[in-house]
Amino acid sequence: MQKTEVKIFSPKWNKNKKLKIKIAEYKHLNKSNLKSHKMKKLIITLVLVSLFSFGFAGEAYEKAMSFSIEKLFQVKTIPEYIEVANQFERISKIEKTEWLPLYYSAFAYIMISFQEPDNTKKDAYLDEAQKYLDQAKTIDPNESELYMLQGFLYPSRINVDPINRGMTYMGEMNKSLDKALELNPDNPRVYYLRATIMHHTPESYGGGAAKALPLYKTAEEKFGIFKPKTAISPNWGKEINDAELKNALEALKK
Amino acid sequence: MKTLIVILTFLIAVSGVSAQVRITGKVTDQKQMPLGGANIFLQDSYDGATSDSLGFFSFKTGLKGIQTLSATFIGYKPVLRKLDLDSAKTIVINLVLEETGGQIDEVVINAGAFEASDKKKAVILRVFDIATTPSAQGDIFGALGTLPGVQKVGEDGRVFVRGGEGYETKTFMDGMLVSTPYLSRMPDMPTRGRFSPLLFSGTLFSTGAYSAEYGQALSSIVDMKTNSPETEDKSSISIMTVGVMASTSKCWKNSSLSLSGDYVTSGLSNKINKQQVDWIKSPVGIDGTVMYRQKTGKTGMYKFFGTYNHSTSGMNYPNTQTGEKQNILLNGSNVYLNNTYNNTMGEKWMIKSGLVLNYDHQKFDINNDQVVTNQKMIQAKLGFTHSFNDQTGLNFGADWVNSSYEQNIRMDGNFRLPVLNNQLSGFAEMEYKLTKKFATRIGARIENSSLSKQTTLVPRLSGAYKTGNHSQVSLACGQFYQNPEEDYLKFAPQLKAEKAEHLVMTWQYLTELKTFRVEGYLKKYSDLVKFSEPLATNPFDYYNAGSGHAEGLDVFWRDKETFKSTDYWISYSWINASRNYKDYPAAAIPSYVSEHNLSIVYKRFFESLHTFASVTYSFASSRPYHNPNFPGFMNSKTNPYNDISISLTYLMKFFGKSAVLHLMVNNLAGFDNIYGYNFSKVPNATGQYESTPIRSPFVRQTILLISIML
Repeated sequence: MQKTEVKIFSPKWNKNKKLKIKIAEYKHLNKSNLKSHKMKKLIITLVLVSLFSFGFAGEAYEKAMSFSIEKLFQVKTIPEYIEVANQFERISKIEKTEWLPLYYSAFAYIMISFQEPDNTKKDAYLDEAQKYLDQAKTIDPNESELYMLQGFLYPSRINVDPINRGMTYMGEMNKSLDKALELNPDNPRVYYLRATIMHHTPESYGGGAAKALPLYKTAEEKFGIFKPKTAISPNWGKEINDAELKNALEALKK
Repeated sequence: MKTLIVILTFLIAVSGVSAQVRITGKVTDQKQMPLGGANIFLQDSYDGATSDSLGFFSFKTGLKGIQTLSATFIGYKPVLRKLDLDSAKTIVINLVLEETGGQIDEVVINAGAFEASDKKKAVILRVFDIATTPSAQGDIFGALGTLPGVQKVGEDGRVFVRGGEGYETKTFMDGMLVSTPYLSRMPDMPTRGRFSPLLFSGTLFSTGAYSAEYGQALSSIVDMKTNSPETEDKSSISIMTVGVMASTSKCWKNSSLSLSGDYVTSGLSNKINKQQVDWIKSPVGIDGTVMYRQKTGKTGMYKFFGTYNHSTSGMNYPNTQTGEKQNILLNGSNVYLNNTYNNTMGEKWMIKSGLVLNYDHQKFDINNDQVVTNQKMIQAKLGFTHSFNDQTGLNFGADWVNSSYEQNIRMDGNFRLPVLNNQLSGFAEMEYKLTKKFATRIGARIENSSLSKQTTLVPRLSGAYKTGNHSQVSLACGQFYQNPEEDYLKFAPQLKAEKAEHLVMTWQYLTELKTFRVEGYLKKYSDLVKFSEPLATNPFDYYNAGSGHAEGLDVFWRDKETFKSTDYWISYSWINASRNYKDYPAAAIPSYVSEHNLSIVYKRFFESLHTFASVTYSFASSRPYHNPNFPGFMNSKTNPYNDISISLTYLMKFFGKSAVLHLMVNNLAGFDNIYGYNFSKVPNATGQYESTPIRSPFVRQTILLISIML
């Protein structure tokens, strides 16, 4: 009976390895010293403790994440972005089954690559972002947001050497975004990215503000109905989409 | 109660209500330079900090006991340190991070080699560059002509490297031999490669001292890497002033199939572009290519490449040597099948295998005479790569080439000239990185030919040392054997292999966007084929007594950074070469060698015009030729060679589809380049040997094509 009890809470709740060990030690103590009614009581207490500490651990994760996410969308400079990326990296090292810390780490490095003025340095940052993305994909291979972020990474690769890279990475980007939509047809960030790329593609290649406008509007709709799965799930892009939509409208007035 | 106390202590331990320890210190690299942005943290906790611009960091933790501190930073190896958090309230620890060897940062053995790849980040040329170099006219070998070390030999079209003949450059596809890489050619007319550059994702071009994996090439090797599996279904069609082209690819989860074909006819083009050749039948060619790729397991890859090509042409050739007009009709067909299979075996071993078949048929009808040449080649190759550790790797393998050549001549009687050979080779090469800055490669190749009953063993050595973040020096040397060409073996099967020795020294500066490279070399030839007169039929007229040498300097500069949307490269080669081979009475500079060669390629994308513009300027100093009207041997020189070629690529929409409009103009300025002269064998009535200049088949050539993605 004791065994089954332990089984219930140990693998699932014990995010903290140490707790697991302590329980195991304590279990040992039980066997020799305690009588059965005391044991029952203990198990209940233990369950409570574990519940408490689970709540605590989970809370710590969410707290650390929300804190870092908030920072991520406030920072401006490369060193600041690196600092936030490092926070996510630390979290990801503990929460080995969570894709979110890796997602935000990758996001931070992609933002850095867009900021970095030196073309020869961009690839190193993007390699880092790709590393986290790949790791995240092994945790959850069916997460639409990861393919969206992959699609967001390629334009930065293209910036390094548009003449040579444009064709290949455009294709890769579209593939990733298609996959993101296949996994979640309502992912608003995919619509936003498509809209902004259309917007900044010259008109003669079939781009421009006029063609981007309906895409921005679809994105706007999708953002309107979008509900993040958790408080720390990806939930960015609405503001920038609204701003870009306004830009597109103004460009068309002229 | 006892229980409760235990639980309480337990609770306290879990919730971490305890005194905190401060961990502080500095992160530097090995040269004591501070590293800002490094991530320093305790494993198994969120506790950590990022180092500031001076490398300092500081953070608090509630953890106790022995813990592991970790420091990570992009481009550096992570560092782990055990810390006893119970030892003090403040722990000061300085961390030194060591750089990891990245793709650009690590030393790479590269003397003599130019690599074009779409995969690697820092390479000298990309496939796209080949396809858009105007003077190349879409030919891989033509694009290689803009690299240093390659001689401009306009009447031939093959790749002449560093004082070597065209046949001394061997072509490979995915490491397997391509025995007839060029289309059949008419006399004094340039040929071109059989394969479209679009079928390849990379090319390794080595102008000397290459790896022991490559044999039977005296001067140079070109190894083309075929495309990886396609990742999306796509089709395209192109209409050109010289024909039509179409391709389609289909992909599945672990495999892909691509088909492409073209029909090339120069009838229209030869009317637009003034011809200096009297065509009876303007060149027509048909090509079909199948590429199939299959992933097997996690790491295995099977590749099939099959191609069929047929071409015909006819011309009226003024044969000055014999003093007669010749009607020459050429029919050529070729089938090339290339299978390769690569896989890993465990973490340390890799297997590479391949099987290739080539069938080539060539028929010349010259007035009432006929020359038919059939060549068959089978190659089987098996190779292994073993990595002992990060520093040491071994590459070894063997290949077998069976070639049968047969020429049937109908000219005052019937003659049959066969050449059969089985060539067995083995190679082994060990690469050892002594430090991150210094690497060496030692290898050897053994070859046995059934025809000459000759066994050769040759060493290959190379080393590279990094002199800075982006620069390195390399040194490489080796010995190379190549069997004489079938043109000689068919008369004289007793001939032994010709031999070359290379010594190459390179200094290179390479970043993603800039390349500067200087290479000096020494080359020595021996056992070259000599004969008393061309086309002598007596086997004992041929012997391996020829020799030669070449030394020179190759300079390459490429810059994609300085000017916006602009990419340009400049190649310059200086060479001093001489030979005593064939029927030369004395050592002389061969007719295909020009002392100075210069290529400037300039490409720019005009974003507002959606146009990609490229210009190439090529210059070659004068070439020697033998004029029998004057005393001495190789006594005259041609005028220097000049060429300006341009191409414009306009990206557009065509009925809603992406399309490309491409215009190429070769020899825009209309330079009258004369490559040499053909002299009559007998003097005319006034005692003069009459001559005709050897020119390009056209003065200026314009090709227009539109390509539509479906």
